[in-house]
Amino acid sequence: MTRAGDLWRFPGTRAAAFAVLAYLYLPIIVLVVLSFNASDSSLARWEGFSTHWYAVAAADGNMVHSIEISLTVACIATMIGTVVATLAALATSRTRFRGQIAVEAFLALPLVVPDIVAAIAILLFFVMVGIGLGVSSLVLAHTVFTIPIAYLPIRARLEGLDPALAEAAADLYASPWQSLRRIILPLIWPGILSGAMLAFIGSLGDVVVSYFISGPGSTTLPVYVFSMVRMGVTPTVNAVSTLLIAASASLLTLSYLLGRRFN
Amino acid sequence: MERLTKPILLCACFALLSVGASPAHAQSKELLLFNWSNYMPPDLLKRFEAETGIKVTLDTYDSNETMLAKLQAGGAGYDVVVPTGPTVQVMVRDGLLMKIDASTMSNFKNVRAPFDKPTFDPERAYTVPYMWGSTGLAYDTAKVPGVKLDESWKELFEPRQPFVGQIGMLKDQNEVLGAAAFYLGYDYCFEKPEEGQKILELLEKQKPAVKVYNSEGTVDRVGGGDVAMELMWNGSFHRAHKKLATVAYIYPREGLALWGDNLAIPKGAKNIENAKLFLNWMMEPKNAAEATNFLGYNNAIKGSEQFLDASLRDDPAVNTPEEDAARFRPMRDCPKASVDLKDKIWTRLLR
Repeated sequence: MTRAGDLWRFPGTRAAAFAVLAYLYLPIIVLVVLSFNASDSSLARWEGFSTHWYAVAAADGNMVHSIEISLTVACIATMIGTVVATLAALATSRTRFRGQIAVEAFLALPLVVPDIVAAIAILLFFVMVGIGLGVSSLVLAHTVFTIPIAYLPIRARLEGLDPALAEAAADLYASPWQSLRRIILPLIWPGILSGAMLAFIGSLGDVVVSYFISGPGSTTLPVYVFSMVRMGVTPTVNAVSTLLIAASASLLTLSYLLGRRFN
Repeated sequence: MERLTKPILLCACFALLSVGASPAHAQSKELLLFNWSNYMPPDLLKRFEAETGIKVTLDTYDSNETMLAKLQAGGAGYDVVVPTGPTVQVMVRDGLLMKIDASTMSNFKNVRAPFDKPTFDPERAYTVPYMWGSTGLAYDTAKVPGVKLDESWKELFEPRQPFVGQIGMLKDQNEVLGAAAFYLGYDYCFEKPEEGQKILELLEKQKPAVKVYNSEGTVDRVGGGDVAMELMWNGSFHRAHKKLATVAYIYPREGLALWGDNLAIPKGAKNIENAKLFLNWMMEPKNAAEATNFLGYNNAIKGSEQFLDASLRDDPAVNTPEEDAARFRPMRDCPKASVDLKDKIWTRLLR
């Protein structure tokens, strides 16, 4: 029986691993480096070092506003989506009820339907029902797809949980609520966190749904950047992306360090 | 603490929904502009705000088609949109634009011909001109020292030696097929299958000499010398020329596409008077010139020349000489048969 360590001894694994990491991270490194490009090319013409684009990005009121909208919508949609996804995962894991397969299919539906179809359908629905387009309509639409994104990791983590733990808690007179709060939730916490992170990134990066559902004054960052194609994309975009990467990297480091401290 | 979380969450949700769903109660000092990013100088909008006290909010789209799709699906609420000519025709036909009789506005007398009577809005009943541009041929003169290229599409579709393998084309069906149609003497909205077949053959014969089909990054690839010849918009040419002084712009004698962007007020706009004020304000020579200086595309307003940057005034690609202006063919919305034929050719070409 092989153990995890044996895999590293398989010839070529190390090289393949580094190749994949390079493939994933080189474009990001190039992006960050080019944000310091003195010329206005965000493609590949290096013409000297300059932090000029960070100043331009900070001064561009529309871009700053779109970042605010993106972050607000992503945070709220992620919170709501993760809570709902956790409840859904708890309800559907390790039980059998009639119509379970239909329920699980419905939960995964937003991931299967093409973006553009979902976006137009939601827009038509909002217009028909009379929901005004704005930040709250964006949050509603984003929650629709953050729920299935967050659901899958949480469900996977729940399935991997040893059922003996829940039984032991029940034997020791813990009520279902106490068992949930003090045993199950802490154990599936990494699943909830990864579900939340995936949902946050999915919401932050969404273009199609955000474009159609946003109302006047609520353009999100990806839509703003995408609409720069006509006049040309400047390194301002690189600067903003670098700042976002730096922010999320520091958040992740912080949560890792805190996690270690409390273990 | 757990006792309170549920009510607190409920309150938060209600607060959120009420904030977003509050209707725009007649904000008299606001203007909601729907445009491409970076397509209107931020300083110009700040000056408009200072002069009129109206605050401009910008929302963005990436192409005429997506803007049209959103408005057709009912996503209203914007006060000013910026459609290109053929899209104006579609929007008028679908009843998406408000009739504003721009020809009666006080600054309309500044609009110069032929932009006061364009084919897509002959009476300027719905739109006001903004920027216009042409799609011509740019090439690096350093590659052919001492030789002046013929002012014809032949140089693009049957390129001579230094340019083979160094050609960039726009990935735009209407631009590429339009240029091919002009070269072969067909109408922009050609419909006959034989004409389509000839165009496809011409483009397929040219294909091995083309380095890239991409509408983005034209300024970088021409200015950086990655391609020696490019089917290019004149404003992009102006910016590439700043990086590489040896590039030149040709107005092919068989005809070249002329496109015009316009300002219009969609149905469902809330601040109609502010929008009309803005449209009128944009027809003033000083303001149109500021937009041109920022974007590198020309405007349609008489008297703006005195406010233009010298580099734009002196660039024949932007400030078109009279004899070349006769070669312009305005882009227009083609009938379905033509669009379907073009779709087929384009798909076959890029397979």
